Amino acid sequence: MSLATMPSPPSSPYAHNDQTVRKVMLQVQLAAMPALLVHIYLFGFGIVVQWLLAVATLIVVEYSMLKLRGRPVMPFLTDLSALITVTGLVFCIPPTAPWWVIVSGSAFALIFGKHLYGGLGYNPFNPAMLGYAFLIISFPVQMTNWIMPAEISGHFIGFGDALQIVFTGSLQAANTSFDALTGATPLNEMRIGIAQGITVAETLKPIEGHTSHTGFWLGLNSWAWINIAFLVGGLYLLWKRTIRWQFPVGFLGSLFIFAWFMHEINPEMYPPADFVLLSGGTMLAAFFIITDPVSASTTPIGRFIYACGIGILVYIIRTWGAFPDGLAFAILLMNIAVPLIDQYTQPRVFGHDH
Amino acid sequence: MSFLTTIANKIAPIYPMAKRWLYKFHGGVFPKYNKSLSTRNPIYPPLIPNVLILPLPQAIGEKAEPLVKVGEHVLKNQLLAQADADANRKLVVPIHAPTSGTIAAIEARTLPHASGLQELCLILQPDQQDQAIDNALKVDGTWPEEPQALKDLLVHSGIIGMGGAGFPTYAKLPKQKGKIHTLVINGAECEPFISCDDLLMQTQAKSIWHGAQITAQALGCQKILCGIETNKPKAIGLMQKALDAVQKEAKSLPMEIHQVATVYPMGGQKQLVFEVTGIELESGGHAIDQGLLMMNVATLAAIHRAVEFGEPLTSRLVTVSGEGLQEGFNIDALIGTPFNELTAIARPKSPIDYPLIMGGPMMGVRMPDNHVPVLKTTNCILANPPEPREMQMPCIRCGECMDACPVNLLPQQMYWHAQGHEYEKVEKLNIKDCIECGCCSYVCPSHIPLVQYYRHAKSEIKALNADKEAKEIAKQRHEFRLERIEREKAEREARLKAKKQAVKKQASAAKTPSAAASAAKAAAAKAKAASAKGNDNKPLSAREKAIQAAQKAAANKQGQTDNDKKTKGQSIATAKDKAIAAAAAKKRAQAAAAKQANATNNELSTQTEKTVAEPDSQPMNAREKAIAAAKKRAQDAAAKKAQSNPKTETTAEQQKAPPQVEDSQTTDLSANDQQTSPALEKEQARKQAVAKAREAAAARKKTQQAKAQESITEAPENASDNEASTGIKAKPADARQKAIAAAKAAAAKRAANKANSANAQKQKDSTE
Repeated sequence: MSLATMPSPPSSPYAHNDQTVRKVMLQVQLAAMPALLVHIYLFGFGIVVQWLLAVATLIVVEYSMLKLRGRPVMPFLTDLSALITVTGLVFCIPPTAPWWVIVSGSAFALIFGKHLYGGLGYNPFNPAMLGYAFLIISFPVQMTNWIMPAEISGHFIGFGDALQIVFTGSLQAANTSFDALTGATPLNEMRIGIAQGITVAETLKPIEGHTSHTGFWLGLNSWAWINIAFLVGGLYLLWKRTIRWQFPVGFLGSLFIFAWFMHEINPEMYPPADFVLLSGGTMLAAFFIITDPVSASTTPIGRFIYACGIGILVYIIRTWGAFPDGLAFAILLMNIAVPLIDQYTQPRVFGHDH
Repeated sequence: MSFLTTIANKIAPIYPMAKRWLYKFHGGVFPKYNKSLSTRNPIYPPLIPNVLILPLPQAIGEKAEPLVKVGEHVLKNQLLAQADADANRKLVVPIHAPTSGTIAAIEARTLPHASGLQELCLILQPDQQDQAIDNALKVDGTWPEEPQALKDLLVHSGIIGMGGAGFPTYAKLPKQKGKIHTLVINGAECEPFISCDDLLMQTQAKSIWHGAQITAQALGCQKILCGIETNKPKAIGLMQKALDAVQKEAKSLPMEIHQVATVYPMGGQKQLVFEVTGIELESGGHAIDQGLLMMNVATLAAIHRAVEFGEPLTSRLVTVSGEGLQEGFNIDALIGTPFNELTAIARPKSPIDYPLIMGGPMMGVRMPDNHVPVLKTTNCILANPPEPREMQMPCIRCGECMDACPVNLLPQQMYWHAQGHEYEKVEKLNIKDCIECGCCSYVCPSHIPLVQYYRHAKSEIKALNADKEAKEIAKQRHEFRLERIEREKAEREARLKAKKQAVKKQASAAKTPSAAASAAKAAAAKAKAASAKGNDNKPLSAREKAIQAAQKAAANKQGQTDNDKKTKGQSIATAKDKAIAAAAAKKRAQAAAAKQANATNNELSTQTEKTVAEPDSQPMNAREKAIAAAKKRAQDAAAKKAQSNPKTETTAEQQKAPPQVEDSQTTDLSANDQQTSPALEKEQARKQAVAKAREAAAARKKTQQAKAQESITEAPENASDNEASTGIKAKPADARQKAIAAAKAAAAKRAANKANSANAQKQKDSTE
């Protein structure tokens, strides 16, 4: 593979649709903007600080890794694939996590998730999810200490506040302390509730100042709105054909059916399907994480199977596993299965028997 | 328009890929067509360039043989080169003069081929007179009724597939009438920039339909379908008009225009056939085997002109276009017109110092040199200035290529394995179905030249397969050789074993009826029979004497009557000769004697086959050589048997024995038997002894081959009869008589072994 810029292709075709890897990645980044804005609106500027930290880490890590690997820096640094990786990771960690969480997570994701496997296009595992798995295992406390949305905590975290929290771990604000701003996510609450024998309906009962509070827009809580923002971005990507429909349809479909079925069996033990779909990182995963083509299955049917597998695994891990959100592990597990799926889902070639 | 079509057309502006719902095949891309660059100008007036370059080889097939000499003046349509022998086999296409002029040279010129290959070309210097031979093909204007008639006409017309592949049309047509049910006219012209077929349909629509009718009539087709992309409304309209006119003129088979979606590669054979007929051409198969034939509009127009007017193919419509030209156009260019002469009149925006492309941007070929001639397959000369290209990035498995592939391959996987040189896996992914349309490369966001990888992989796979085949052949040959060696060895061993068993059986058979004494006698007789042949002195001194006696007798009495050369030698013998003969005979008889002795001994002692086999097997190796030698020797003499049942004689050695000799010998022997003259008696007896001994040897050989077919029950009966007779005859103590008796014993043995076979019967008759 020659990396040198060639004046024109050596043989036909001599035409191209002008699509590039960079454009694809940029589109994904653009599609994440609604979610980012909603996130800022609801949870404050924590995510911006985290994102900037991640980008700084990215530049340092990418530059040094490309240098060490003897690859041209600029073309690969500007392919923006690393940006997608860290963006995905940033959305997964608490916006107020200490600075070293995102730095070590991003570095791990890029170094161990991508470069050590040969860089872009050669990683068998989703780098963002590898970074997330690394973080949740290494720093479970920091990773589950989520800040409450402003609608609940009553305090909007500005950029200054965010910087202070991220770098010092505390907040010297006039009327509140940092600890008062954090709490369990709805998913976590549901887990704990079920573990303690509280029924699903009880947990979901809207209580003022609680995560279950649904007095927000259209009766949905903040986490649900983040998910909807991702859904919007995802639809844009579908329209632009940046991602394939098999991923979200397979993932959300299997998750929905599984959740609905379990809820029908025992509504006290299993949360309703809409809660499952609009909590945690469901929509982020559906449109931005599992759609990473490098580590996903590549055949049309394979993509669907891959996505369905993740959906089922996510529900299993969320419901019966040890982690509140099983996305990372579900995705990594299905990454392992990709070569097998690809092997057995090859489409019928024109002119061949069925 | 169906509902889906309406929806797709509505959505297409905001979701361009909805256009993929408009057609049946998978994938496809929608490049910028840029066809107006050449269609906005009228067809350029005919142009006779300063020089015409006519390559002797065409796109496909071997070189044609030039019929003209340098300096010769030729007329338009004159045959300049043709196939020397069987044109069909070599796919040679004749070349006709595109205009009148002088043959300036016959020399190697660069061909319009990616390789930059140089081949012999006729260089024609036009005289600008354009004097033509009318009806050069000497046709009477009637349409052929049989495929062969059309093929015969086309083979002289120089018509080849003008869509791009360039396969000689006469070779493409089936020989059998009625094999093709549907003739598909390819007017899709899906490549960007190219508009020559569009213009042809606009200007020569009737000729195209007539060409199709001619072809369909000769081949016995049932219908004609014409596929035209929707981006050529003018062509569709004019073709429809011409179709109506043609159908009004005369009753014709059903003909129809199918407007097909504008998508690249709609013009591919598999794609267009699938689109207009719904028939999916089988992978690796030929369209004609499925009753389909597809022809380009230009080819059909050329067929019409050839059949109707006897015009050979000397010019074609060529699109001269590209972003580097200000005035693109179409021109009815003479075959052999240099590319750069055509681009020069299209007002290049900048000097054309970049390579031109023959064909469209998707499947075209970049020219090694811009001074290459227009071929019969040249549909477009494209002048696109090179643009800076994006750097090739690693594959991100996005699957765009897979979604674009018109044959539903997995280009990303094929690339992955091709890059890793895992060509077997690439082959498994059906790379052979790749039509190299370039859709995958066109959409690849990583700008990977995928088609190039596939071309390389295909050639590698071809080489690998050729290599594998060669290895397989070598392996088969080696295995066959090993098998043959093994088989020969087994046969040899089986022969030995059978020999041994035969001897054993004989001995046991002899024993059953008569007393132990007769068995002993038989043993003695056998030993003597062996010695009579002139051999084995080692075990018995008594035998030695017998040998010498027998040899003397032989030397004295045998004389000219002996059939065998060696025995003849013996018969003339002096003392020396005797010694030599003895030595020679020794080898021959060693085996028989030793075996007999062995067998008898074993029989006497134990009787069961198994016990015999064990002691036998041990000395076998030592004896093997002797046996083999004896066998050879015996063969000559034993030819008699060979003749009676030649089938059993399979080895080359045995076949050496001349069958004619045998006949004479058997008759001789029988005659001798009948003779009563006492003077000859001894001699005959001797002769018989020798002959019988040999026969015995040969008989044993046969028994091995018969693979112990003889039933155990029958054998003893026959053997006992023989034994009884031999016992009576053996009484006279004379050495010679002993020899006779011994020989008879041997014969009996042999007879016992072969009792079942007709062979044995015959021989018994002759000897007894």
